[in-house]
Amino acid sequence: MKVKVNDVELDLAPGTSAIDAVFAAGYDVPYFCSQEYMSPIGACRMCLAVVGAPRKERDGSWTMDEATGQPKIFYFPNPMATCTTAIMEGMVIDTLSDVTKKAQGGMMEMHLINHPLDCPTCDKGGACELQDRAYEYGSGHSRFIFDKRHNEKHHALSELITLDRERCIHCKRCVRYFEEVPGDEVLDFIERGGHTFIGTVEEGLPSNFSGNITDICPVGALLDTTSRFRGRNWEYDHTRSTSLDDASGSAITIDARTGRIERIKAALNTQVNKNWIDDGTRFGHEYAASSDRIKTPMLRKNGKLEPVTWEEATLFISEKLKKLSDNQLGIALRSDATLEEGVAAKSLAEYLKTGQIDHYPRYASSVISANPASFNDLATAGAIFVMADATEEVPMVDLRIKDALKGVTPPTLMAHGVPIADLRLKERMPRKTNILSVAAPYRVDLMKYAAHSMVYPTGTEVEVLKQIIDASTDAGKALKESLSAAEKAVIVLGAFVLNSAEASKLADDLAKATGAKVMKLGAMANSFGLESQDVLPAKADYSYPNMLSGSAKALIVSGLNPAQNAEVAQALLKLELLVVHDLFENETTALAHVVLPAKSGYEKEGTVVNLEGRYLNVNPAPVDGGQAVDFTGFVKELGDALNERLEGRSVRSARRLLKKSLELDLSELPLEGTIASAKAGKVAGLKTNTSGNALLVPSMVRSEYLNRNAHLFASTGGNALRLHPADAASHNLSAHDVISVSVGGFKRRLSVQPSESVPEGMMLLPALPDQPVGLVQLDLNSIKKEQVALEVA
Amino acid sequence: MSDAVAEKPKAITSRHDPRFEVTLYKYIGVENSHTLEFYQSHGGYESAKKAITSMKPVDVVEEMKKSGIRGRGGAGFPTGLKWSFMPPVDGRQRYIVCNADESEPGSCKDRYVLEDDPHQLIEGMIIAGYAISATKGVLYIRGEYYLGYERLYKAIQDAKAAGLLGKNLFGTDFEYEIILHRGAGAYICGEESALMNSFEGFRANPRLKPPFPAQAGVYSLPTTVNNVTSLASAVHIIGKGADWFSGMGTDDSKGFHHVQVSGPAKRRGVYEVPMGISYREIIFDLAGGPTEEVKAFIPGGSSCPMFPFTDQYLDMPMEYASVAKAGSMLGTGGIMLIPQNKCMVDALYNVVRFYAHESCGKCTPCREGVSTWLPSMYKKMLAGLGEKGDLELLEDVSSNIRGRSFCPLADACIMPVQASIKHFRPEYEYIIEHGKSMYPRQSRWAD
Ligand SMILES: Cc1cc2nc3c(=O)[nH]c(=O)nc-3n(C[C@H](O)[C@H](O)[C@H](O)COP(=O)(O)O)c2cc1C
Ligand code: SF4
Ligand code: SF4
Ligand code: FES
Repeated sequence: MKVKVNDVELDLAPGTSAIDAVFAAGYDVPYFCSQEYMSPIGACRMCLAVVGAPRKERDGSWTMDEATGQPKIFYFPNPMATCTTAIMEGMVIDTLSDVTKKAQGGMMEMHLINHPLDCPTCDKGGACELQDRAYEYGSGHSRFIFDKRHNEKHHALSELITLDRERCIHCKRCVRYFEEVPGDEVLDFIERGGHTFIGTVEEGLPSNFSGNITDICPVGALLDTTSRFRGRNWEYDHTRSTSLDDASGSAITIDARTGRIERIKAALNTQVNKNWIDDGTRFGHEYAASSDRIKTPMLRKNGKLEPVTWEEATLFISEKLKKLSDNQLGIALRSDATLEEGVAAKSLAEYLKTGQIDHYPRYASSVISANPASFNDLATAGAIFVMADATEEVPMVDLRIKDALKGVTPPTLMAHGVPIADLRLKERMPRKTNILSVAAPYRVDLMKYAAHSMVYPTGTEVEVLKQIIDASTDAGKALKESLSAAEKAVIVLGAFVLNSAEASKLADDLAKATGAKVMKLGAMANSFGLESQDVLPAKADYSYPNMLSGSAKALIVSGLNPAQNAEVAQALLKLELLVVHDLFENETTALAHVVLPAKSGYEKEGTVVNLEGRYLNVNPAPVDGGQAVDFTGFVKELGDALNERLEGRSVRSARRLLKKSLELDLSELPLEGTIASAKAGKVAGLKTNTSGNALLVPSMVRSEYLNRNAHLFASTGGNALRLHPADAASHNLSAHDVISVSVGGFKRRLSVQPSESVPEGMMLLPALPDQPVGLVQLDLNSIKKEQVALEVA
Repeated sequence: MSDAVAEKPKAITSRHDPRFEVTLYKYIGVENSHTLEFYQSHGGYESAKKAITSMKPVDVVEEMKKSGIRGRGGAGFPTGLKWSFMPPVDGRQRYIVCNADESEPGSCKDRYVLEDDPHQLIEGMIIAGYAISATKGVLYIRGEYYLGYERLYKAIQDAKAAGLLGKNLFGTDFEYEIILHRGAGAYICGEESALMNSFEGFRANPRLKPPFPAQAGVYSLPTTVNNVTSLASAVHIIGKGADWFSGMGTDDSKGFHHVQVSGPAKRRGVYEVPMGISYREIIFDLAGGPTEEVKAFIPGGSSCPMFPFTDQYLDMPMEYASVAKAGSMLGTGGIMLIPQNKCMVDALYNVVRFYAHESCGKCTPCREGVSTWLPSMYKKMLAGLGEKGDLELLEDVSSNIRGRSFCPLADACIMPVQASIKHFRPEYEYIIEHGKSMYPRQSRWAD
């Protein structure tokens, strides 16, 4: 469709909005209410421009302008909101005329009359759309001499978000966001006219994705409480990176100031997370800036850990290693280690001739599917079957499923990027809940949005899948048929299925039988990558749990804390060498001979492979990490002590190696990453519990760091023990009691949360890296109440 | 009738015309006129019966088109044409919505139908429902109209009991029911898309158009929204025929309308008049003329720009085109007289305060301009604090609001403001220069 913006002629797809035509032409109009990936509503009236179009005669020919011999342009009587105007053949948009300028300037002035203009104390200052637009389109002096509207300036919408009601310009982005993106209507305008303000009915913002409103609020009305008053925007170093909090590979911006991480924001990856991240990812960064980080290498001398130089520490390790025979050393990385760290670990294992290498947590079956689904497959699927607690395992899967429910395909990118006003999106679109089926052993959040959901008895995944494959129940038959009938169907498999080799096999069979693509939710950020790089034991006996129970004589663990388990702790005492590479001192460092400072996920450089098989760069924020190194750094230091230039001794060296095997230069990945095909690794069978009275469940909030994430801790109440109210009563537990309890040998501190969504007879608690998802025995006799909930009469 | 085209009698454009007969308002004020018994004994529900048993839906729409009736809710959109915009029947639920939110200052024409002749409205809704194949009617009534609500509630119950609502109406398989919904006191709920949001339980903010109600209305389903007297008129258009209806009025505006005269007039009240009647006839002959000197009149409710009280405007025929050409709108027919010795600035402050209070807050020019800045400027002038430049500022800010808002509410405030400045600029200049009104201000509310 041909349109003309000022002097630029363009050919654009029908349905494009006029505002996008303007930007595509390289011109600008101001806007506040429009927002990428959300419905245009025409509320702020900033994007006004003079617009005209030719008309057709009855016979279909253009009405001609006698003077020019061209089709005559009929201008709309008033400037039009370009965000809500669809282009028409021959449309003319004029953004430079005096009428347009006056309309925009007048609207700018009205945006400012009640605005407090407290930029000097506003966190948004320097990165504020209102500031920028006022500078570009405002008049510089105020004609409004009256008292401005006064309202609450520090309203805690939740533990995580603070609202300044005076700064709000009523663009409605936040309100629309909740309804349109996660589908949680938790915010709205209250009152009307000049008194309109943002508010909630319920306490807090019951949504897993609330933080995104702080990114899209065009002013400083909605602020991330974890970072409030902690820095000005121009003082922050902005680092684009990839979140290591789950397997989605969501793009984030890490904002650090004077060597300290202050806030995490969503970054744009059109193929993965669009503009959004979940609250666990956004607010779960405080641990990294915790003052009790391990800052230097430490060596146990006379029973006490003492700070030493890297040389001394690695010399000690190398001496010990030299005394070991083949296959006596165990090396284990946490599953969010980068590919480069994986390569370093492998090359170290090779050099030291040990087959005992593993990454953990991982599942009994592969997370690499033969027919993998991408996020965009998921977002455009006509039938989706989720057998997972997707919201907690990989929250972005939840959000992209909601795209599919709306039935609007991801927008085509334009010259200026994501369309600013995608006219296909509307407020309160009907959702195609019928395409979504969810099965899990307890009520999961996604079931709220699904027409078909099933809570099955824990551990019966195999039976459930059989019912579908054999179409032996009505629901199973209907599901199988809908998966087969849909042009694009996606099956999402989480820990409950992947933990069982048999269930995984059945799920793959179901996918084959129905032609569905499969998305497997890896346990952590790089589960896919570490499996594909074969950071796996040479044989089943060498798996990480086996290393802990005696197969290893010496152990190097990175990011794992096996000594939380009292029995394992006993076994570790017998090791000739225990090296722990981690952020904080813990049960395992208490036993270690050598403790090494590790980098957090915000400080590393490297690559991860997300659950689609997409290679994504992780970039380091400029943070003061003391002498911390990632695993490649450790391998370099150890190599120096061993007098050996080991492969993988740096990110560069690891990438050199990977370039050969992958035919992919990891230092030149595009921002949205690159999908490369991968084959399932030989995952040696892990034993999983098939009985227990409690279920370890995934959590979007990292349970291992929750104690150090003060704001998340306050908003979640800490790691929770969820159980049916009837069970709580029979165990003499009440809501908010804080208990310590022995769970599968781990001492866990949990706050009690009775909930109807948990089946009777089952208790749920968040998994840990060393205590992954699955059944476990909770010792009811070991329950000690540490804090009793206050009774409010 | 077919051969009468050439000698078509001159259309009725005056109440003095002996052929004119009050029709829609015939039983207003008559005792018990709101009961089913009364209504049926005066020919009630015969038009609905006629439509449903002897006409096809498209014939009803055609008849409405032929009558030339235009919407009486303010915007004046041809009613028959609006009905014909409904998409083809496809099995989805369809709705006819009656907009009985009458909140425009100066308007009260719907109220009398709601209170004194509820069955007439129900019958009109049945006919409209039949015409557009909608089996559900939504009657959205202004919350403050409590008597109207009670009477409508009873009337709907009675009609249901009498088989006039429900299944198998008049022995056919047409079914129809009416959902009665009370507003909660917001002018914006009269705007049709805000009304639908409010009905669905959401905030009453206007919706984006397109899609128009016919494509996506109530619950995103095909919907037609009409005013009370638009719908009630259908009873008579079907009953007496389109030609009877178009036998009143002018080429541009057909049929009758209901004007409401307020302000200093002898017989303030509501009158059924043929279109094309002059304002002079309404104000002087029907309402008995002013009781004191008048300087201006508003032709169609507070949203419509005022006219000076001069021959030029008084002799103007009441029809859409003429009034528009003269710079105002026919609106709801709420005619308000503004006395000579009342301060125009003060009068406009009253108008502005209303819109400031009723702005829904969705869009910037209305929320900040109409709802915040404008009343402050008026308050300043009226407090005697006006300064040189204030009038120019008021004009400039008004021009920044006019035609820039999301829905017409902001314009509904700005147009009267601009008209008052255009016609009574000296009063503004006086108050700014002297710090007091040209005419003594009086307390707006009798103590
Ligand atoms: C701010 C505003 C208020 C309105 N209030 C009313 C009202 O109270 N009653 C009404 O019938 N129409 C009202 N309207 C007009 C309606 O939007 C709509 O045009 C009308 O109900 C259509 O009916 P009609 O075609 O029969 O006139 C209002 C419009 C606006 C913009
Ligand atoms: S709080 Fe921010 S995002 Fe929400 S309406 Fe106000 S300005 Fe817009
Ligand atoms: S003009 Fe804007 S703020 Fe005013 S009522 Fe309409 S939509 Fe609401
Ligand atoms: S009206 Fe806000 S962007 Fe167009």
